[in-house]
Amino acid sequence: MQINPELLEKIVTEVLAEIEASGAAPASAAAVTAAPEAVAGVSLQEKGPASRGTDPKEVVLAISPAFATTFKTTIVGIPLSAVLRQVFAGTEEEGLHVRVIRVYHTSDVAFMAHQAARLSGSGIGIGILSRGTSIIHQRNLAPLSNLELFPQSPVIDLPTFRAIGKNAAKYAKGESPTPVPTNNDPMARPRYQGLAALLHNKEASFQDPSKAPVELAVSFE
Amino acid sequence: MAITAGIDIGNATTETALARVEGRNVTFLATGISATTGIKGTLQNIAGLRSSLGMALERAGYKRDDFSAVDIIRLNRAAPVIGDVAMETVTETIVTESTMIGHNPATPGGIGVGLGVSVAFEDLSSAREGDSVIPVIAAKHDYEAAAAGISSAMARGVNITAAICQSDDGVLIVNRLPKVIPVVDEVGAIDRVPLGMRCCVEVAPPGRVVSLLSNPYDIASLFELSPEETRQIVPVARALVGNRSAVVIRTPLGEVRERRIPAGELYILGPQGKRTVNVEDGAEAIQNTVIACYPVENIFGQPGTNVGGMMERVRRTMSDMTDIPIGDIYIQDLLAVDTLVPQKVTGGVAGEFSLESGVALAVMVKTEELPMQRLAVAVSRELGVKVEVGGIEADMAIRGALTTPGTKPPVAILDLGAGSSDASFMKTDGAVTLTHLAGAGNLVNTIIASELGIEDMDLAEAIKRYPLCKAESAYHIRQEDGTVRFFDEPLDPGVYGRVSLLHENDMLQPLMLPNISVEKVRSTRRKAKQEVFVKNAVRALEQVAPGSNIRLVDYVILVGGSAKDFEIAAMITDALSRYGIVAGRGNIRSTEGPRNAVATGLVLSSVEGRK
Repeated sequence: MQINPELLEKIVTEVLAEIEASGAAPASAAAVTAAPEAVAGVSLQEKGPASRGTDPKEVVLAISPAFATTFKTTIVGIPLSAVLRQVFAGTEEEGLHVRVIRVYHTSDVAFMAHQAARLSGSGIGIGILSRGTSIIHQRNLAPLSNLELFPQSPVIDLPTFRAIGKNAAKYAKGESPTPVPTNNDPMARPRYQGLAALLHNKEASFQDPSKAPVELAVSFE
Repeated sequence: MAITAGIDIGNATTETALARVEGRNVTFLATGISATTGIKGTLQNIAGLRSSLGMALERAGYKRDDFSAVDIIRLNRAAPVIGDVAMETVTETIVTESTMIGHNPATPGGIGVGLGVSVAFEDLSSAREGDSVIPVIAAKHDYEAAAAGISSAMARGVNITAAICQSDDGVLIVNRLPKVIPVVDEVGAIDRVPLGMRCCVEVAPPGRVVSLLSNPYDIASLFELSPEETRQIVPVARALVGNRSAVVIRTPLGEVRERRIPAGELYILGPQGKRTVNVEDGAEAIQNTVIACYPVENIFGQPGTNVGGMMERVRRTMSDMTDIPIGDIYIQDLLAVDTLVPQKVTGGVAGEFSLESGVALAVMVKTEELPMQRLAVAVSRELGVKVEVGGIEADMAIRGALTTPGTKPPVAILDLGAGSSDASFMKTDGAVTLTHLAGAGNLVNTIIASELGIEDMDLAEAIKRYPLCKAESAYHIRQEDGTVRFFDEPLDPGVYGRVSLLHENDMLQPLMLPNISVEKVRSTRRKAKQEVFVKNAVRALEQVAPGSNIRLVDYVILVGGSAKDFEIAAMITDALSRYGIVAGRGNIRSTEGPRNAVATGLVLSSVEGRK
């Protein structure tokens, strides 16, 4: 198939229009208060600035600025509450627990997870973007290095999120887990790249470079 | 004045020693080494020979392809040896009617022992008050739902003693229950767990193993078994030894048994006639038969069995190579080593693995003629240099080895290669006895690969060759001897937390194998080397020592590629010290280490021939 610039531009304009139409209301400031109803199954309460942990049994999970507020599902429609639940379950099964922070200063998943790893008592952090892109990171590594990266958001399903939590916990225990097996879909890129770029732009619009990471109290309903 | 090149074509490497010979004076100029191309003794070797000789020439200050600088090439009359290795699994564990779940999930839930009747989770609501039941939970039930269902049944007064579940939810379920019960999870084929049967679940505390279900008398007490039934339960108990969690289900017909696979018989021909040994009797029985038939004239395998196939394959390879009819090829040595092979349990419901016994075999063929002469003519034509075929390999090796400082005849050498272990003994008067034995580096690789479940032979070779370590943080590793090493630069994140091989130049190669530890890999590696090299060292020396008495040997020099290994030489030194023997790695011409012995010997023998 030939991709000509006009067609591409047309698609982008159409998608943008669609997103603006559906996303305009929640993108406003009122969205934050409306969030608990909007994202069923989980409530995230801000507890104040995120501090550095000392508990070796914790894995810190960094979520992006608009995770589970404006954004309700990943790029393929998995509810973000289910995503959180599976990461929690995977970690709990290994005997560890998750502390969640919300990062405002960046929406780059590697830097988010690196921030989480630096705050984590075990030195292991996870970063998850609203569209599903994930990474397991470790303190002392360079930000753009990582332990495991899950770059193709459309192919990450709930069992994979469970396995990400499980593997992060295993790294925290100093074990050597087998890297999480992931699907590969060669069509994911052509199908979702445009959408992913738009979602990224939208997510980045919630960034606040002057705001420090905030710790969240998570309760599932 | 003549430039002489001694070239030793081995099973794995082609080594060159380049020297200037003036009368009786020999000045060594340079050495070269390169991988042997093709099977030793075939015309394919020329490519490897060219690169090895070229390397030596370059180091000596000539051009890489200036072969005319060489006046004479001396090749070894290679001991015509080829080996082959094979693995035979001789036992198999079979479970019928799913009487047992003996797998080891990484994270079972809870702690303790629970006895009850297995019941599907869906039917839990129909369980009556006071019943002792064990719910069997399929993956379609979420852990919250499973925990809620169990809690409500408990509240009704149903005595839920344990649970078996399909997904990895054990800890999650137990964390949501009012009372701790043992939960075995990750049971893959949960639909094959028999329902309505008496059943016992045991989960041991972390770091411990099941104690009740691995003891036949405890199983008998739990299920009220008769003495006859207790006898039948022994394989179940045995299969559960060493697991952290286990389930035993009592079914009317179920059993666990160990089957011996007919691996075939070996027929060993010696001077006193033919002896037969069954491969499933294990390495010791095979080796005793080989000794009883010494000197072995030929070995056959039972036709139609795996062993038979292996023996015929070796014969055919050798026959194709040498143009000798298949009937005239004699297998003259065999080394068998007991191993353990992880195999999936037949009929298991949770993908259980059981360590089955196996036998690894290495065999060796000797023929009287190897086409070295043909190779010599071909080399001469190709390079335009005069080529001689020198003495016997072991003889040459001993001459080369004697250039090690601190040695003199009588001396024995052990040439530990990739395909065979050769030994020779030189008396004070220069007379040499020698032997070639099957089993060397390649057999070690085979054993390591099968015990660790590796299919990649290059990985097995790397495990043999390099020590282990584990990256404990981004900046430090713990080596296999327990010492810690720090690095200035952060390590590659791919090695973090993993058992890795420590290559030269501090390069780390992570081992991507499930459930391994430094200790396990280390003990497998050391055991394989011990079984092959130490056993062969003693066996070889017994054959060459005066009066077959090892104690009459005073000095042993280890040469060959495998002597370069970081621990084999030390293991042999240690084992031979018990016989009062001084054994150590050779240092050819004080510079070469244990390599280049044969090539050096070839050059030296050219001078002796002229006197």
